[in-house]
Amino acid sequence: MPPLLQLHQATIRFGGLTAVNTVDFAIAEGSLCGLIGPNGAGKTTVFNLITGVYAPTHGRITFAGHDLAGKKVHEVAALGIGRTFQNIRLFDRLSVFDNVRVACNRHRATGPLQTLVRLRAFRDDEAAVSRRAEELLEMFNLLRFRDTPATCLPYGEQRRLEIVRALATRPRLLLLDEPAAGMNPSEKADLVRLIRHIHREFGLTILLVEHSMRVVMGVCQTIAVLDHGMKIAEGTPAEIRQNRKVIDAYLGEEHAPLKAE
Amino acid sequence: MTEFLQQLINGLSLGAIYALLALGYTMVYGVLRFINFAHADVFMVGSFAGYYLGRLVPGGTLWGGLAVLAAAMIACALLGVLIERLAYRPLRGGPTLNVLITAIGVSLLLQYSGQIIFGATPRTFPQLFPVAQFHLGRVGISSNQIVVIVVAPLLIAGLQLVVFKTRMGMAMRAVSLNLKAAQLVGVNINTVISFTFALGSALAAAGGILYSMNYPSIDPLMGVMPGLKAFTAAILGGIGSLPGAALGGLILGGAETFVGGSQFSTYKDAIAFGILIVILLLRPAGLLGRWTAEKI
Amino acid sequence: MAEIPQSRAPNPKSDTPVPVWRLLPRQHLALALGLVAAVVISRFSGSIDAYLVDVAIGIGINVILAVSLNLVNGHTGQFSLGHAGFMSVGAYLAAACTVFAGPRLLGAAPGPLAHNLLFFGALLIGGLGAAFAGLLVGIPSLRLKGDYLALVTLGFGEIIRVIFQNVEVLGGALGFNGVPAYTDFAWAYGWGVLTIFTVSCLVNSTYGRGFIATHDNEIAAQSIGLDTTRYKTVAFAVGAFFAGVAGGLFAHLKLSIDPRGFDFTRSIEIVVMVILGGMGNTLGVILAAVLLTILPEILRPVAEYRMVLYSLLLIILMITRPQGLLNFRFGKTRL
Ligand SMILES: Nc1ncnc2c1ncn2[C@@H]1O[C@H](COP(=O)(O)OP(=O)(O)OP(=O)(O)O)[C@@H](O)[C@H]1O
Ligand SMILES: [Mg+2]
Repeated sequence: MPPLLQLHQATIRFGGLTAVNTVDFAIAEGSLCGLIGPNGAGKTTVFNLITGVYAPTHGRITFAGHDLAGKKVHEVAALGIGRTFQNIRLFDRLSVFDNVRVACNRHRATGPLQTLVRLRAFRDDEAAVSRRAEELLEMFNLLRFRDTPATCLPYGEQRRLEIVRALATRPRLLLLDEPAAGMNPSEKADLVRLIRHIHREFGLTILLVEHSMRVVMGVCQTIAVLDHGMKIAEGTPAEIRQNRKVIDAYLGEEHAPLKAE
Repeated sequence: MTEFLQQLINGLSLGAIYALLALGYTMVYGVLRFINFAHADVFMVGSFAGYYLGRLVPGGTLWGGLAVLAAAMIACALLGVLIERLAYRPLRGGPTLNVLITAIGVSLLLQYSGQIIFGATPRTFPQLFPVAQFHLGRVGISSNQIVVIVVAPLLIAGLQLVVFKTRMGMAMRAVSLNLKAAQLVGVNINTVISFTFALGSALAAAGGILYSMNYPSIDPLMGVMPGLKAFTAAILGGIGSLPGAALGGLILGGAETFVGGSQFSTYKDAIAFGILIVILLLRPAGLLGRWTAEKI
Repeated sequence: MAEIPQSRAPNPKSDTPVPVWRLLPRQHLALALGLVAAVVISRFSGSIDAYLVDVAIGIGINVILAVSLNLVNGHTGQFSLGHAGFMSVGAYLAAACTVFAGPRLLGAAPGPLAHNLLFFGALLIGGLGAAFAGLLVGIPSLRLKGDYLALVTLGFGEIIRVIFQNVEVLGGALGFNGVPAYTDFAWAYGWGVLTIFTVSCLVNSTYGRGFIATHDNEIAAQSIGLDTTRYKTVAFAVGAFFAGVAGGLFAHLKLSIDPRGFDFTRSIEIVVMVILGGMGNTLGVILAAVLLTILPEILRPVAEYRMVLYSLLLIILMITRPQGLLNFRFGKTRL
């Protein structure tokens, strides 16, 4: 079976800086992969390349048989790629509930006209969207914040809401950019459970960028390592821990066998 | 050919004035990232300052003209600083829309207080500098145009010196690159911003006087059109770029003069907006500007 | 997944995802009531002082302008300074319809119904023409943001004005005179109600939350599959449509229109209503439109100082209540 997502020689330059440099990388359907590397290695930029925020200077990216070249961000999302952002990007004028509801748009055919006519079918559809949004919120323990403005949520909850919002689009591939940033150890433990849970429950493929080794080593089946835009290693968590290049570039000596927090 | 040269000279002197005005827009945009709509009305105030101060000195003398010019520039510099202090500083860092509306509010305030103080009927601007008309073949050039063509580049050169050769200029450049970082390394941004407004407003005053010498009917709403055009010039050249503003001013002044002299003269005022739209759509960074993408 | 009844307890309405009153097309009920009310009140307008009726109709037109611009500026966050330009397209088109095509269509002895139909058609054409102009302006320029979009729309508005100044059939710079007096209370408020209905129906839906999402965070909106350009274009076209209708109403109220009446100060007036009402807050925007139409009338005795007071008020408001004078939704804590 061909991989769900594949990067061929993906490269992007910003002026003189090559942020991502000839990266080859493939993710099999159903897998849970990690992408790690020091600050500025190009991890977020890889996400932006996949989701169409930036167009690669060279190279090709394919997803589920589609070439992503020239596709706009919303078109990529429509193919089934959901993402979260490193710097949280919620809709602050919308409530928690509406942040999720608006993400349910992807599978609906309603346009501006239907909102004016408001036939029975439209109203049923709206009701279905709301039900689904509530189910999702409940599953992630956010239902109690239903009507709170999104930006009034505690930080950790905002990160979770971003995941819920991405899930509401029913993606096949979910890209998580540092979901554990700013979380305390117990929240991180919860997050690990949550990622495992959605991976199983939703039958998703997940690509995870994370600096917390506890989270990455805890959930990922395979890990790729970036440094200065280049992929320097790829393998299972155990292999990555032993890898000389990775230890030198990122993990450091003292964390070599077991990266603690 | 003579027709062309004549238009070129007219365009050059108009363009030089737009350039002076455009520099003020660009400087303020550089440090604060907003369009100072009231700049055009500081230009108007400068012109009226010239009108009233012109009565205090003997007309038609070089020193008298220069003295009026300098005094009006100082007066408007103070006005600019005052406007920033009272209206813009409280909103610093606020939503763009609000800052823009405040600027429009200041602009309206100056226009309509102008109508009360100076009266709404147009007045005739006095002859500040010595008058003469020179002829090069069939091409005519007035002493007023010569004053514009000499004074405007001198002021622009002076601005370059300030911005690139003084400590304050360095601070201005730092603030325009990154306000927060400049603040962190100890630049007093309030001083820098006040200084920027003072410089820009002084140039606007000079522009107002030079403009009124060549188009001597002045009224409180006179700033609106030159203001919009100078702003277009700033965008055309690349907002934030000083040479860009000067270049944009010249191009715009030239284009307008040539269209004004052609059969499409009634569309003269649309030219600036046409250029504005085309440049924003095709090259929003302007001719000499740099476009920075947002990092996600 | 497991249903946990307790967690639903604090929120009894959560089975019906939106409150019940929204599930019934209450909007349609409100629309019908509003239209009927406009017509009924209009019947009595003959017995009210003509000046007051005039002011009231002016309010109605400004409500249309402000509520439609609110969809663009407030909800979708596209800073347009061209609303008066779109208004002028509608005004000239509608006036041209009734002045040039009217006599030919109406025949010798037209009844009131014929007049009303003609006017409705003219307003529709004015609105559609403006919407078309909106698309023409919007499609190339909506990728610009903030100030820059404001400038492009301002520029387009001014260009439209200069063009009208040069079209001799439409009166050129002297203005277009002899427009029939069709606009009355019922027309102005009927369209006002329709505008409010359209904008609130659009926005209060799963589809329509995309407008707000586009405003709040464009990249995030795209990442959940929303075509934000499409949203902006729809908002722009709908906004321009109603601006055009308002222009048509305005033309048939004033009976003579002049390109200078649609310059960018007019656009700014409408923007100020939207900001004052609290961007995206429909009720606030309606109140602001009412307030800002009445204010100049009250200030009439001090006519000279009117604009000075207006501009001072504007500055002070922006500084002291940047979230809008009439926006109480999120208190001070949010700022
Ligand atoms: N739009 C852009 N323009 C210019 N340079 C950029 C842009 N986006 C990213 N970069 C640069 O590309 C490099 C990689 O950035 P990226 O954000 O992908 O790193 P990262 O691996 O996600 O780091 P972190 O762990 O800090 O999030 C950095 O040097 C960054 O400054
Ligand atoms: Mg990153």
